[in-house]
Amino acid sequence: MSATAILNAARTIGGQVQPHLSFRDLRKVYPDGVAALDGVSADVPRGQFCVVLGPSGSGKSTLLRVVNGLTSLSSGQMTLGDLPMSAANLRAIRRKVAMVHQLFNLTERASVSANVLAGAVAEVPFWRVMLGWYPAELRARACEVVARVGLDEIHLPRRAVALSGGQQQRVGIARAFLLRPEVILADEPVASLDPAISREVLGLLREAGREQGATVMCSLHQTDLAREFADRIIGMRKGRVVFDGPPHLFDARAEAALYEGLTPPAQAQPRKEALHA
Amino acid sequence: MREAELEMGGHPAKRVADWHLPAPYDWRAALAVLLIALALIWSGQRMEVGKMIGLTGEAVLASVGLQEESQVGKGLGRMFGQLFPFVIEDRRELARLPDIDRDNLPMFTRIELVEVTTFHMNAATLQAEPRVDVKEYLVHPFGYLLNVLGKMVETFEMAIWATIISVILSIPLAFFGARNYTPNRFAYSASRGIVSFLRAMPELIIAMFLVLGFGFGAIAGYLALGLHGAGFLGKFYAEDIEGADRKPQEALTALGAGKLRVLRAAVLPQVAPSYVAYTLYILDRNVRMAAVIGLVGAGGIGQELKGRYDTFEFGHVGTILLVIFLTVFVLDQVAAKLRARLIG
Repeated sequence: MSATAILNAARTIGGQVQPHLSFRDLRKVYPDGVAALDGVSADVPRGQFCVVLGPSGSGKSTLLRVVNGLTSLSSGQMTLGDLPMSAANLRAIRRKVAMVHQLFNLTERASVSANVLAGAVAEVPFWRVMLGWYPAELRARACEVVARVGLDEIHLPRRAVALSGGQQQRVGIARAFLLRPEVILADEPVASLDPAISREVLGLLREAGREQGATVMCSLHQTDLAREFADRIIGMRKGRVVFDGPPHLFDARAEAALYEGLTPPAQAQPRKEALHA
Repeated sequence: MREAELEMGGHPAKRVADWHLPAPYDWRAALAVLLIALALIWSGQRMEVGKMIGLTGEAVLASVGLQEESQVGKGLGRMFGQLFPFVIEDRRELARLPDIDRDNLPMFTRIELVEVTTFHMNAATLQAEPRVDVKEYLVHPFGYLLNVLGKMVETFEMAIWATIISVILSIPLAFFGARNYTPNRFAYSASRGIVSFLRAMPELIIAMFLVLGFGFGAIAGYLALGLHGAGFLGKFYAEDIEGADRKPQEALTALGAGKLRVLRAAVLPQVAPSYVAYTLYILDRNVRMAAVIGLVGAGGIGQELKGRYDTFEFGHVGTILLVIFLTVFVLDQVAAKLRARLIG
């Protein structure tokens, strides 16, 4: 079955477009009483590049982490395709979902190739993981994704820590795409990169996601980047959805509502110096 | 203001003027230092630290000629004097070697004639009369050195096997003893308990018990060292696992990888340099301790050392100590190179 066929079959179950990700009244209250998610509901169709926008502490990361079960819900239901999140489905869901992290979360002393291949760590036989002896097709696929994210053969044996911040995030993206996941979660993927690199990385994330028909949920705090790259923006504030629509509807008024009483973030300012730039 | 509130998850923010940045230490720290000092003074008297310093000072003064002689210097000097010259030749009385063919001696050996004066009782005069005998010795000019080197190789083999045993035992101990990987509290406590126990038991004592079970020889020696080493490695490996960067572990957990897979792919590469360092240290330690452990009959160079020491052959003891020192020194250099290559 071709990718398009799968897509079409998934889209039209019972004549209706079935959402790829469905959030139903998600609530997450931390033990200290802070509600990170306070009744979030949304549907994300397959293949969408969905930006979750909001100030820090608005619950963006929590929402993303609910999708792969890194955060457990206090109440509500997250469903991926036809798999509702539950302890029994956790492994199955995690195998369809890959994540790109704010601080890259690479094994710094391991090589680029080892880091990318670690994307398959849950799928290959146990002895292969222990020996670090990944099958030839997977190694070929790793080369493919490393090339796709704009790195070269010479980078393969380098330690991750020896790369610049932008290159490290490319490795993170390559790792996420290794096994052609259905969903990519990108948690502030450019927060520690400078503006020019940020655009390159987000563009890469969007294009690579499109090529594979993957649904991308990307949390950002820069409104200009959100407008530029998103198919759809979900604006969050204090754990609630305050905006949900295409980027052309996210006007100055919507932005003001999102950041009311807060200093709006400057244009794609890096939070800190790009790591090892 | 409101942003700060939001950043803190809704907790009300304080005015800057009300902030409090405490001093790095306070009267409690000073009190603790005082109490420790008092305890050390009390303990110093029990341990005769004053006498230690006095005697050492005398010995140093005597050695540079500022004082006649010292008690420590005399005791140690007599011993040190007898260590030299190092004995490297092997000398055996020919009369006790019936199988030697005089026309075809073993390689490098020669026969030396030594005049020995012995006193014999003359039955008639009841006087002891000197008699000069000529004894023949088969001398191998560096036979004893070769013997010691052979023992050192055996000792090194013991150290290698002890290290292998330590590593194999400590891998499960580290897994169960790492707070963030242990399956449950019981396994954690059990692992930490075993590790403490193994470290608390001196290898000499473990070896003495094992000699009862396995008999004299190398087995008891390297088993004892291996068990003791597992106590060290189990603890250090586990603590490094606990301290490893959590970010890559979280990344792989999010992909659905189990604990062992995460350990292999996200923790091992991070802790590898210190694991190499610990393991090389244990190897180094095992070489030194393998020399000591022979004292209780657990094989290796220590058994030879003990024998020579007990028969007052201090020249031989000197050779053994020199060989041990050189081995440890060379091992240190090799380990440093190895570590640099593996870590770099």
